[in-house]
Amino acid sequence: MLTINNLHASVGDKEILKGVNLEINPGEVHAIMGPNGSGKSTLSAVIAGRDTYAVTEGSITFEGQDLLKMKPEERSWLGIFLGFQYPTEIPGVSNVNFMKAAINEQRKHKNLPPLGPAEFLKLMRAKMAYVEMDSSFSSRGVNVGFSGGEKKRNEIFQMAMLEPRLAILDETDSGLDVDALRIVGNGVNKLRTKENSMIVITHYERLLDYIVPNFIHVFHDGRIIKTAGRELALDIEKRGYDWIIEESGSKNGK
Amino acid sequence: MESNYLLAPKANHGFICKIPMKGTRQVYVVNGHIQGNEGGPLALSFPKGECDDTMLQVIFVRTTGESGKISGICMSCAPSEKADDGGAIELDTASSIEFGEDCSKKLLLCSHTFTPDRFLTRERCEINVRRGANADITVMQNENNRSVHLTDYTINMEEGSALKMIFISLHGGKISNKLKVNLNGEHIDCNLKGLCLADGEQHMDTEVLMEHYKPNCNSNQLFKYILDDKAIADFYGLIRVAQDAQKTNAYQANHNLLISDYAKVHTKPQLEIYADDVKCSHGATVGRLNEDELFYMRSRGISLHEAQLLQQKAFANGVLEGISSRELRLRMESLVDSRLRGEFSSCRNCSKNCC
Repeated sequence: MLTINNLHASVGDKEILKGVNLEINPGEVHAIMGPNGSGKSTLSAVIAGRDTYAVTEGSITFEGQDLLKMKPEERSWLGIFLGFQYPTEIPGVSNVNFMKAAINEQRKHKNLPPLGPAEFLKLMRAKMAYVEMDSSFSSRGVNVGFSGGEKKRNEIFQMAMLEPRLAILDETDSGLDVDALRIVGNGVNKLRTKENSMIVITHYERLLDYIVPNFIHVFHDGRIIKTAGRELALDIEKRGYDWIIEESGSKNGK
Repeated sequence: MESNYLLAPKANHGFICKIPMKGTRQVYVVNGHIQGNEGGPLALSFPKGECDDTMLQVIFVRTTGESGKISGICMSCAPSEKADDGGAIELDTASSIEFGEDCSKKLLLCSHTFTPDRFLTRERCEINVRRGANADITVMQNENNRSVHLTDYTINMEEGSALKMIFISLHGGKISNKLKVNLNGEHIDCNLKGLCLADGEQHMDTEVLMEHYKPNCNSNQLFKYILDDKAIADFYGLIRVAQDAQKTNAYQANHNLLISDYAKVHTKPQLEIYADDVKCSHGATVGRLNEDELFYMRSRGISLHEAQLLQQKAFANGVLEGISSRELRLRMESLVDSRLRGEFSSCRNCSKNCC
């Protein structure tokens, strides 16, 4: 489904991604863990098409198509979704108008007619229930005045609306209290199917109790240095990253 | 002159304004002359104590068509070369509007051109808001892009009166609104807002002189410009607080969104305060569309063009939400929407359709 091959990306003169390789198949959940500043968020932004990063080498293909040639919106139409670590506030644009614009453009590219107002509201209400969001949120400006937890819930709500093939959740769990984590975790779980896939970027093992991954990748200095199963998260929780970095460093002969 | 204008039947042949809401009465002023009345310039007077929620709409029209008959010719489509030869077709006109004591009225002032000629209109408009009156005025300016319309407003407000005045400027070669507002009594509330959308080589000019002469008055100004192509805007605002005018609250803001690399704005917000117990602030910003917001929207599948429109509409909302009549606000929102989409400038959206 998604194939990342020897991906290098930089901001200005600074290289952040230094050769990422990753293969994701339908139905799989991949967790990416790793110390701060290792390039996890950069990877998610590059997949989504943020142009602050220049890709200098390598490729990303999604279902055989060259993602790097596409605009962010075209990637979204293909079914790629990025759950932001820090969701952007858009003053003056209400949640409902924002979602209406998004849904109807998605539909346009699937050759479907725009949703009528009644259908749209019904859909919106149903999806808000996924993350136990109050209906009063729909008339408020996108993420404006939302608490950290509400912003993250709003991301999952948008994900539920758009039903992406591949969702990348960038630290969706950071800043959430126990209850909010449960709500978000369960919300994401309900959206999991045999066909769609997820990349879950996290620092904590607890989110993975809700969204059980097939693989865990450890990111360090712009590349994946270890890939293992679910149990690796528990090791990391106990022992940190140093031992993995050392292990990989010796393997690389550093 | 009495305020009870009737819909002028003869002026209504080629054009019916679709803006009016239920109960709106319309007055047509063609080339400076009121239609269907004695034909002088506009002199409106709302009697003392008259309060109602209905709206009076004054439609100010420049045209070279048959006198008295307004034809629905394109107002924004490309002019013929021939029209250039004769130079500008000038008009000097004066109007006066009076809100009598304790009255409460809504007024919609529209200005249009119905032929694509090069009009030059110099207008002096005196507005008197008497003691305790409540004036609610929306000004909609939409003329052809060769037309020049310069208006000098002198607004005199008396004790305990309130004014809300909102300017929406869409098309027009040069639209200049100069306002001198005299707050002549205590406990006055004056609220001015403006939204200018300009592209091509349009020039928008706003000048506000807010004179606080007496204590305990509030004034608030918010002027927003969205400028594309080679459009130019000027904003000159001055709040002057006299020594006597203690406990003044006065605010002024001018925010500008530049869409192209060639659009320009000159902004000069100023304060002159001679009293020592006042709250005043002023500010101006000049910015571009926000890249983070654009990326966020695009990542949800909203195309770049649509995302830019959403941002511009959000920016414009700060002014539009001030329009108190819901029907008028919705109508203005859709006009602004189609203006931002550039749908106005095509022929199918000539004067008959746009308003």
